[in-house]
Amino acid sequence: MKLKTRWANFKDWIALPGGFGIFSGLTMLVIIIILGIIIPNFGPYNSDDFVGEPFAGPSLKHPFGLDQLGRDLMTRTFSSVGVDLGVAFLGVSLPLVIGTVIGIVLGLAKNKYVLSLVGSLIDGINAFPLLIIAVAMLTFLGSGLKSIVIILAITNWARYARISRTRAVIVSKQNYIEAAKTLGYSKKRIILKHMTPNVSSETVAYALSDFILVIIIISGLSFLGLGAQPPTAEWGSMIADGRAFLTESAGLILFPGLALCWSAVALSFIVEGISRRDRGI
Amino acid sequence: MPYLMKSQALRILIGRLGRALSVSFWVMVISFAIMRIIPGDPASARLGAGAEMEAIEELRKTLNLNGSIFSQFTNYVMGLLQGDLGTSLQTGRTVIDIVSSTLPLTLYLIIFSTFFALLLSIPISTSIAWYAKAPIVYVFRSVTAVILATPNFFIAMIGILIFTVRVNWAPVFGYDPQFPQNLKYLWLPILVNTLIMTSVISRVLFSSVTETKEEEFVETGIIRGVGRRRFFWFYILKPSMAPTVVLLSYMMGTMLGATVILETIFSLPGIGRELVNAVLTSDYPMVQGILLIFGVITVFLSFTGDVIAYLLDRRVKI
Repeated sequence: MKLKTRWANFKDWIALPGGFGIFSGLTMLVIIIILGIIIPNFGPYNSDDFVGEPFAGPSLKHPFGLDQLGRDLMTRTFSSVGVDLGVAFLGVSLPLVIGTVIGIVLGLAKNKYVLSLVGSLIDGINAFPLLIIAVAMLTFLGSGLKSIVIILAITNWARYARISRTRAVIVSKQNYIEAAKTLGYSKKRIILKHMTPNVSSETVAYALSDFILVIIIISGLSFLGLGAQPPTAEWGSMIADGRAFLTESAGLILFPGLALCWSAVALSFIVEGISRRDRGI
Repeated sequence: MPYLMKSQALRILIGRLGRALSVSFWVMVISFAIMRIIPGDPASARLGAGAEMEAIEELRKTLNLNGSIFSQFTNYVMGLLQGDLGTSLQTGRTVIDIVSSTLPLTLYLIIFSTFFALLLSIPISTSIAWYAKAPIVYVFRSVTAVILATPNFFIAMIGILIFTVRVNWAPVFGYDPQFPQNLKYLWLPILVNTLIMTSVISRVLFSSVTETKEEEFVETGIIRGVGRRRFFWFYILKPSMAPTVVLLSYMMGTMLGATVILETIFSLPGIGRELVNAVLTSDYPMVQGILLIFGVITVFLSFTGDVIAYLLDRRVKI
């Protein structure tokens, strides 16, 4: 009886606007994360081991075939899940936290000079396309995934700060903040308990869509040879490696590319579902 | 009253210009600062551990790294005012020279793909939004979402796989700057860019046409029996274009970033490939100069986009 009720609840939830998008996106994401954990860790091969003839086609032992050095392509494709999604997670969450905090501080700040100085710094950073400023900073920081995370933290916060600042100004004028002040709550409590949750709901929503952008940027930089360094398995650099061997085997670019698309599409279904649910259509 | 409206519009546009100029100033400060905020000395980093002191000192001088930060900045700004972006460490050519020889190709790439994307997305999105059949809308949304979530280099690789490996229609290497011949090299990158731009633009246009449809003046237009063509251009498209234009100007900036990857894949001699080469060879003045150019172009694009959007629809806040 109880099971049926749960099933009915679930069906109702799916029927709400965007429900199907959120559900299918989450399912796709969970599938690739599980495969990304199981195959590299419990599979028969290691992502860096040479296990056979280069360019061997798909077979029962190697469902995706082997790459130009004779490494198992399936293991490599799925061990990139952790690299790409992990780095992207860091590259989104660091700017999210930094930007939200700076935005709230700016939203509450009274000092005009600080406001206009930081405000124009934010506009200046946001003026550059993210990929361009990341590429430029990599010149001075040196290539690598660590540099990319650092660069995302010091440049991408500005987009979050802009959203969070606008939101903080609106929230600080709401009645419930006035009420909290009247009740004599401390400033710390008002900021932490009343402002932050209301401001961060907006920045977290942006973070989800930013996640897609950041995955694309990480793999794009690796594709240019500025991100993940060999022998690390990473989708962008695997596609870049496969470029030279298109005539021998198309799988070298198709499998990592499809895995990359799969993750990004999963996230974009979730984002679109959530935004449709918010708008109620 | 009309006089007042005009002066108000002018005030808003001048205010927007002022903001564009102040952001440009900050773009300049950032491209100046980028070489200096990273810990360590870029000159010795480039020359390596075994370099002689004189060589390092010489390079520091070329890179304008001597003296106080304030005098460095004055030197930098004075140089910019004279059109001096520095000299490439790798080739010895001036940065401005390299930029002016490589930028046009990149701009053509972007302008042509934007043009074709507009040509495609206006009929697609207006017709889908106007007739709004649920299954078609669903397919439209999913297809564009999938294209948008796909990195451009993967789309480009699939294009190469089809058009170069399967049928030999598009050469991947080499480039011929002569007009009719260069189309052979350019059509595939433009196609890839157009595909991506079309999905972005048509999504936004779709949602703004859907909103415009609900406006009262559209109903008035139908009741008054406005001619088909006039109805389409002035009642539906013009009010819906404002958000699209704003997005378009932003997207063209992002496309500048994306061409970095496309030009590398198709080995086109544009500014994006120049940037990647400069990064790989630690050519600091080139990186700094190209970064500045990109920033200024983006600021200019978003200014133009906002102004056009405001002229199309005075309700837009810029």
